[in-house]
Amino acid sequence: MAYFASLRVYPSFARCAFQRRAAYRLANWTGITVNFFFFLIHAQVFFAFFRGRAQVAGWRAEEAVRYFATSEALVMVLGVLTAQSGIQLAERIRTGDVVVDLARPVPLWARHVAESFGSALYYALTRTVVLYIGAMLVYRLPLPHRAAMLWAPLAIVLGVGIVAALMYLAGATAYWMEYAHGPVMVVVLALSFLGGVMVPLDFYPVAMRWVADLLPFRGAVYTPIAIANGTLGGAALAFGLAHQVLWLGVLLWLSHVVEERGTRRLAALGG
Amino acid sequence: MSALRLYLRLIGASVRAQMQYRASFFIRSSVDFLVVVADFLPIYFLVRKFGALEGWSLAELALLYGMVEVSWATIEGGLRGFEHFGTYLIQGELDRWLLRPRSVILQIAAHWFEIRKLGRIAQGALVLTIAAIVLQLDARSWAWVLTGVCGGMLFFAGVVMLGAAAQFWTLGETSELQNMLTYGGSAALSYPVSIYAQWFRRVLTYGIPLAFVNYFPALAALHRTAVEGWPAIMPWLSPPVCAAVLLVAHAAFTRGLRRYESTGS
Repeated sequence: MAYFASLRVYPSFARCAFQRRAAYRLANWTGITVNFFFFLIHAQVFFAFFRGRAQVAGWRAEEAVRYFATSEALVMVLGVLTAQSGIQLAERIRTGDVVVDLARPVPLWARHVAESFGSALYYALTRTVVLYIGAMLVYRLPLPHRAAMLWAPLAIVLGVGIVAALMYLAGATAYWMEYAHGPVMVVVLALSFLGGVMVPLDFYPVAMRWVADLLPFRGAVYTPIAIANGTLGGAALAFGLAHQVLWLGVLLWLSHVVEERGTRRLAALGG
Repeated sequence: MSALRLYLRLIGASVRAQMQYRASFFIRSSVDFLVVVADFLPIYFLVRKFGALEGWSLAELALLYGMVEVSWATIEGGLRGFEHFGTYLIQGELDRWLLRPRSVILQIAAHWFEIRKLGRIAQGALVLTIAAIVLQLDARSWAWVLTGVCGGMLFFAGVVMLGAAAQFWTLGETSELQNMLTYGGSAALSYPVSIYAQWFRRVLTYGIPLAFVNYFPALAALHRTAVEGWPAIMPWLSPPVCAAVLLVAHAAFTRGLRRYESTGS
């Protein structure tokens, strides 16, 4: 099994991805500024909607605003709202550069996932803490306290994996299509809408919520954020984690299958 | 006039190039149209759950959304070159432009027209039109809406040009910062400026004059300028303020260009 024979290479891939990000210090600070600006907008919109209403859909204003403190702190870690990694892969397939990647004795999808974890770790260390503390202090939000929050790191790791696999799958459509930008953008939009980036899924109409709960996208966004926010507990928490594990398994298996089929097609074209 | 002709010719070439891949164009435009699902539908869900937002109905919020989407998407598609300017600068593309006997700004503007953004413009225009019909806007109100849309284009053109100008000093590292004013700005303007805290409202009015893009023209269109406590002159200031942003950006870009020294290799 090529996957396990060289397990040591994956941390190296992750470390390289980490170092690539770390080369741009100023870019990190501008990124923090942008994330914080988005937090301020979401927070004020929700404070305005909640004005004169103590509780809506079981949420209080502070909890909703803290959801956005968490989501802006994690959005770069999870890798949502950006098409970059998917488009990069698609471009390598389109230009044929991918042949170099495939020549290595490591499956490309596994390397892609490993690199996502490298970037995630970088953003977790540089952005998450600064943004979360900053956002909590601006509105003096109460810290969430719930034992279930201890599951948050696991949910975030699973979420990073789900986004990485989805991006890989969308980018890999380039084996079959002239341009894979379409599928990649669909994944980005789906992560935003069905993941609950703009509005937590609890405020969605029942039917829409059902659809979102079935699809993998909420496992990448809503589940980790809501657990870290102390929103999910008990059965909802168990469902969220099980949903994540199940979908991550399915998506990774799909990635493996797609890579086998896709590379065969690439060879048929003459490489 | 010859500048405009050249711009149209270059744009025409980039459009023809993109139309070689018809299926791809169709798919990508459709995806850009779907932005309406990710960006506007959540606003609808919120209004459904909460009711009106401080006196603003769904149709009125839709008007704000449609106005800012049309202006931003037009600039995002039409002036793509400025957004990617940091990359061109690093790769030395700018040197080639400097060698040609035409203004650099014209060449960047004409560098790429992202036709798939027509899909995004279309979704904004659709939301805008439906909102206007529901609100039964008269001709005068329509004129205000169009004024706002045109002013917004000037404003966002200024922002992407300022963003490009900043790259002369920071060499591509701050390319994300303009996202705050473009993507962040259009997100902020999907809601009336009046809902924001006072300090934020002041920043949006007197600091970065985002409020002049769609909020003040929309107030005039909805006859709400006085209701929201603003002097009657504010909507009228919208076009000059937006034009001023573009002029400042132009000056900044010219200065940056003058200090540009290439890499020397």
